[in-house]
Amino acid sequence: MDENKVILKISNLSKTFEDKKGNVVRAVDNVSFDVYDNEFLVLLGPGQCGKTVMLNVIAGLLEPDDGEVRLDGEAVNGHSPKIGMVLQKTALMPWKTVIENTEIGPKWKGVSKKERREKAESYIKLVGLSGFEKSYPAQLSGGMKQRVGIARAYTNDPEILIMDEPFGALDAQTRYAMEEEVARIWQQEKRTVIFVTNNIEEACYLGDRIILFSERPATIKEIYVNDLPRPRDMISEEFMKLRTKISDNTDLAI
Amino acid sequence: MVRTDKNGQKGEFKKTTPKDIVYFILPFVSIGFLLLLWYRVSSITSLFPGMVQTYERFLLLLEKPIMRVPFYGHILASLKRVVIALLAAIVVGIAFGTLIGWNKKCDSFFGTVFNFIRPIPPLAWIPLITITFGIGEFPKILIVFIGAVIPIVLNTRAGLLSVEQIYLDVGQLFDANRWQMLWEVAMPCATPAIVAGIKTATSAAWMVVLAAEMLGAKSGVGFLVTRGMDANDMPLVLVAMITIGVIGALLGVITSLIERLICPWMRIK
Repeated sequence: MDENKVILKISNLSKTFEDKKGNVVRAVDNVSFDVYDNEFLVLLGPGQCGKTVMLNVIAGLLEPDDGEVRLDGEAVNGHSPKIGMVLQKTALMPWKTVIENTEIGPKWKGVSKKERREKAESYIKLVGLSGFEKSYPAQLSGGMKQRVGIARAYTNDPEILIMDEPFGALDAQTRYAMEEEVARIWQQEKRTVIFVTNNIEEACYLGDRIILFSERPATIKEIYVNDLPRPRDMISEEFMKLRTKISDNTDLAI
Repeated sequence: MVRTDKNGQKGEFKKTTPKDIVYFILPFVSIGFLLLLWYRVSSITSLFPGMVQTYERFLLLLEKPIMRVPFYGHILASLKRVVIALLAAIVVGIAFGTLIGWNKKCDSFFGTVFNFIRPIPPLAWIPLITITFGIGEFPKILIVFIGAVIPIVLNTRAGLLSVEQIYLDVGQLFDANRWQMLWEVAMPCATPAIVAGIKTATSAAWMVVLAAEMLGAKSGVGFLVTRGMDANDMPLVLVAMITIGVIGALLGVITSLIERLICPWMRIK
């Protein structure tokens, strides 16, 4: 595996939007970075710094004002099926059961029921939700819903998986458990992951590389390479050192 | 009362509290008051039929048909009109509501005309419909249809317009085509609203059919009301009114059951 093969190239990305009062807000300002094949890349930045806007541009849900996104050397226009996303608000369809939610990707592509069910089952198992296939989202806890969100994204077989603050709404305990899960799943199912968070500890626990963003408009402050061995120990000395280094360099979001 | 359950944990039986008893009794109290009021009014004036009189008229109605149609035949005649009109209204209403709720151009093309027609009460159509289609079954069903289709169109449109952006984003992220976006994302989102529209339409249809029958029919529960009025047979009017109330309430129960069937996820709270 070529560690340094660039799979996604973001160049000079800028995006402004209008807020509710009609003011023009610059959310992302001239951001460029590369994403390597199969790496776990963390985008770290204070809340409201424009990370979600940037992700939505990368995922093709929003058009950039300036700059471009290249996937495997080709410019991305609109949403590319090669990019999957786990949303902050999960957004499971309340009228579909766990398995029906998980299989929407292949279903909409026209994959046969048997084949897509098998695939969905295997990812439901991977995220540890076997036995809940026929439950409705309203019957699940926040952590379980987000597991379905992850299974749904993997079942669609994306080359790049974007996770937008997936654990932001979870309590601290569940959050730690889910961080472990995501690290485990990533090691089992190697794929490029772009993980967005505002939590420094989470970033250090998960990321191969951590891109630190400033407050709005989002610009890159620094890129950290994190080669601590996995599974990582959150109270080891090296971990604390990295964590302190990043937090000293972070803009506070209030 | 404290008990020990299977897991050896102590828990409490859900005791029947005085509050529960009150909630159980209150409906009967209100029915009691209604009957008492009826009794009082009918004892003041002999023109207002009493309970016994009404009950006897009911028994007589079971034996003796009016216009050669037995009592249940009148009920079925009204229900048949309602069911046919409702089914047509559901098909047409959802189709048209989807068209204007999903396509902005169609909405602006049809919206104004629809908003102009909407406030016209279905009964105001009776003269035009009568001179055009006569006085058979079809014109009555058409009037009921007009009353039923409007809430379905409105709710379908509103349901589709209020689909949350996040679900449309999910549709886009998983590459739904336009058709899948409508059928697998937007329509299910709008289903609770559509079903609510059908519930409103059902009660509207029941009211309109009775009014339509009162104006010119030879069968139906509404016809019984008119017949009672013409023959100065007030007990018959009361029997018909009570029948209308009971069947209307039953229709409400049935539509609620259908709602549970169509939206199973709504039951989980």
